[in-house]
Amino acid sequence: MKDYIYLDYAAATPMDQRVIDSMSSFLSADFFNPSANYSPAKKVKQELNEARRGIANWLGAKSDEIIFTAGGTESNNLAIHGIMNGYKGKNVISSSIEHDSVIQPVSQYIYKIAPVDNKAIIDTDKLIGLIDSNTVLISAMYANNEVGSIQPIKSISQKIHEIRKQRLLSGNTTPLYLHVDASQAVNYLDLHHARLGIDLMSLNGGKIYGPKQTGVLFVKSGIILKSNILGGGQERNIRSGTENVAGAIGLSKALEIAQSTRKDEVSRISELQSLFMKKITNLLPETIINGSLKNRLPNNIHLSFPGIDNERLLSILDDRKLYCAAGSACSASSNEPSHVLKAMGISDELARSSIRISLGRQTTKSDVEKSVDLIVGAIKEIS
Amino acid sequence: MRETVYVGMSGGVDSSVTAALLLDAGYDVVGVYMKNWSKDLPGHHCTWEEDYQDAKKVATQLGIEFKMYDFENEYRQKVVDYMVAEYQAGRTPNPDIMCNQEIKFKLFLDTALEDGADYIATGHYARVKDGKLLVGIDKNKDQSYFLYRVNEEALKKTIMPIGEMEKPKVREIAKRLGLATAEKKDSQGICFVGKVGIKEFLETELGPQKPGQIIDQNGKVLGDHEGSLYYTIGQRHGLNVGGGLPYYVTGKDVKNNQVFVTTDISDKNLWNQTLTLSDLHWINEAPNSQSEYTIRTRYRADLVAVKSFKKEGDNYLIELKDEVRAITPGQSAVIYEKERVVGGGIVI
Repeated sequence: MKDYIYLDYAAATPMDQRVIDSMSSFLSADFFNPSANYSPAKKVKQELNEARRGIANWLGAKSDEIIFTAGGTESNNLAIHGIMNGYKGKNVISSSIEHDSVIQPVSQYIYKIAPVDNKAIIDTDKLIGLIDSNTVLISAMYANNEVGSIQPIKSISQKIHEIRKQRLLSGNTTPLYLHVDASQAVNYLDLHHARLGIDLMSLNGGKIYGPKQTGVLFVKSGIILKSNILGGGQERNIRSGTENVAGAIGLSKALEIAQSTRKDEVSRISELQSLFMKKITNLLPETIINGSLKNRLPNNIHLSFPGIDNERLLSILDDRKLYCAAGSACSASSNEPSHVLKAMGISDELARSSIRISLGRQTTKSDVEKSVDLIVGAIKEIS
Repeated sequence: MRETVYVGMSGGVDSSVTAALLLDAGYDVVGVYMKNWSKDLPGHHCTWEEDYQDAKKVATQLGIEFKMYDFENEYRQKVVDYMVAEYQAGRTPNPDIMCNQEIKFKLFLDTALEDGADYIATGHYARVKDGKLLVGIDKNKDQSYFLYRVNEEALKKTIMPIGEMEKPKVREIAKRLGLATAEKKDSQGICFVGKVGIKEFLETELGPQKPGQIIDQNGKVLGDHEGSLYYTIGQRHGLNVGGGLPYYVTGKDVKNNQVFVTTDISDKNLWNQTLTLSDLHWINEAPNSQSEYTIRTRYRADLVAVKSFKKEGDNYLIELKDEVRAITPGQSAVIYEKERVVGGGIVI
């Protein structure tokens, strides 16, 4: 029995026992290099390809469209550099609420940033309006890691489809791709690439009860990516290095569990989310819920408590063994409050009064009730 | 009415306990983190954010108000630029002494007083009594050497509670109170350079240095050095000149970019019985001929008895009763009368 309450599942998730079990033989007995030619190595290669096929299935993709990486950050970097390196002088468009692992690589090219509304939802028309004849890539997240807002990926992809058609008709051969960072979305949303209409998608094992430092980049067939990591030519020569077989198998298992239980988990956790929000706004009516109530990950709760210093609050909660995150990753200590909250138009002061709660598979109703009481108690002490 | 103390909280155990003791003594305590430096260096991560969080955490545990003062610009100008200029001139400065003089006991003090403090407090191992600075009770930890350039008016507004105790006692108090920093390791080296050392820091500031000759006591060229500024007199050195006896730096010629070394520990260039101090600072009053004084020529060095002082213009020529090894230009020599810090100056 744990003596603490963990409500920071958006930061890290504990590995599912079934994931650990699926991996363990590949850490010792089946350690062979999948590129080797003897039979036990070939068997390992088969298992790796099984894992790849499993992942492809959940995405409605082909095995060859799955590139294993070492996590979400690498997947995002590979997608952006992999495309943009092949198109010197062309531009990329992203949004104002992306993760740093998208913002940083994007900002090394000619780029434009699409704004969001006050619920942290990308304004599709404004984003589409930024596209010019030299735009090659759009990178937009599926769901935001801080405030949980779910982005209108389908409507963005439909409009991109239209622009592609027009380009073909007008003789512009510049491609236009849509990359989606789905790191936070996998536990709760549909990942079928054709339904979403996307070209590249990043997944992250560490956020779905799988191993950290495992990830996937889905790359639709026909798209040429320039490799970041050169070497022995693994992963279709896009990402060299001996495959992390155990990691890939664990990630595949984690994705299978997440996607096959997705609907039940969404309804279970949505109830906890609304219980949390109701209870805390009842007890502390001045509480502000940031982000969208409608288009929101069911596990995300982002709150501001006007006048309360979030670092102080978290430090008290830490002592009482409730672990959650500051609503703004770098608050009073840093010069820059969260770029996401800024993009939503939330004042620096309110940003420094905010916390992020993210529920997960182990969260129970009693955890929610206890947590709200702990938070309310701590706030009453420091206000 | 209760008096208000602003405690400089670095996120370490010493200043954490300082705040706790003052709270216990009945003061209104405000914790302040001074943000003096935040830049990472090659091979060294600046831990200011972690330290800030730790300081704030302790403040929260103690239930005291907490602030941050951003002194980065001033620290850069008054401490870092000074330090770099001194090294460029071939001397070996002490940035911690400058930090105490310019930042902690001037800027921090003034800002705190303006914000409503009656006193400031720091977690130094030294004692303050009636505007006098005394060595800390813990002889092993005594930090009075770094404080000799603080002035009497500042000391009259300063409290240093842990100067009255030994380090293990400080840890014990932190543990007993369950402070978040109770088990935190002591910081090492110059605060912002950390363990990587001054060489890497100077390289980022000044660029790579020109190699030059290393010359031994017989005038023989032993090989190349990596930049004469990195060498400090008395330093036992890995001179990269291969095997044999250890070498000691006896001097350097910055203009001709030469470093002089010796294998002879008794080399007369390594030992001095006199030294000249400039830029003198006396906390209460200048030394006089009636009293007995001792002097410390670097942090943690043994105290040596002073034979005589002679004023030479703005400088002091000091004769010692014994020879001292490795008196280094740019370093501070601090003069004590028994347990009291009288003041001191910079070795030239």
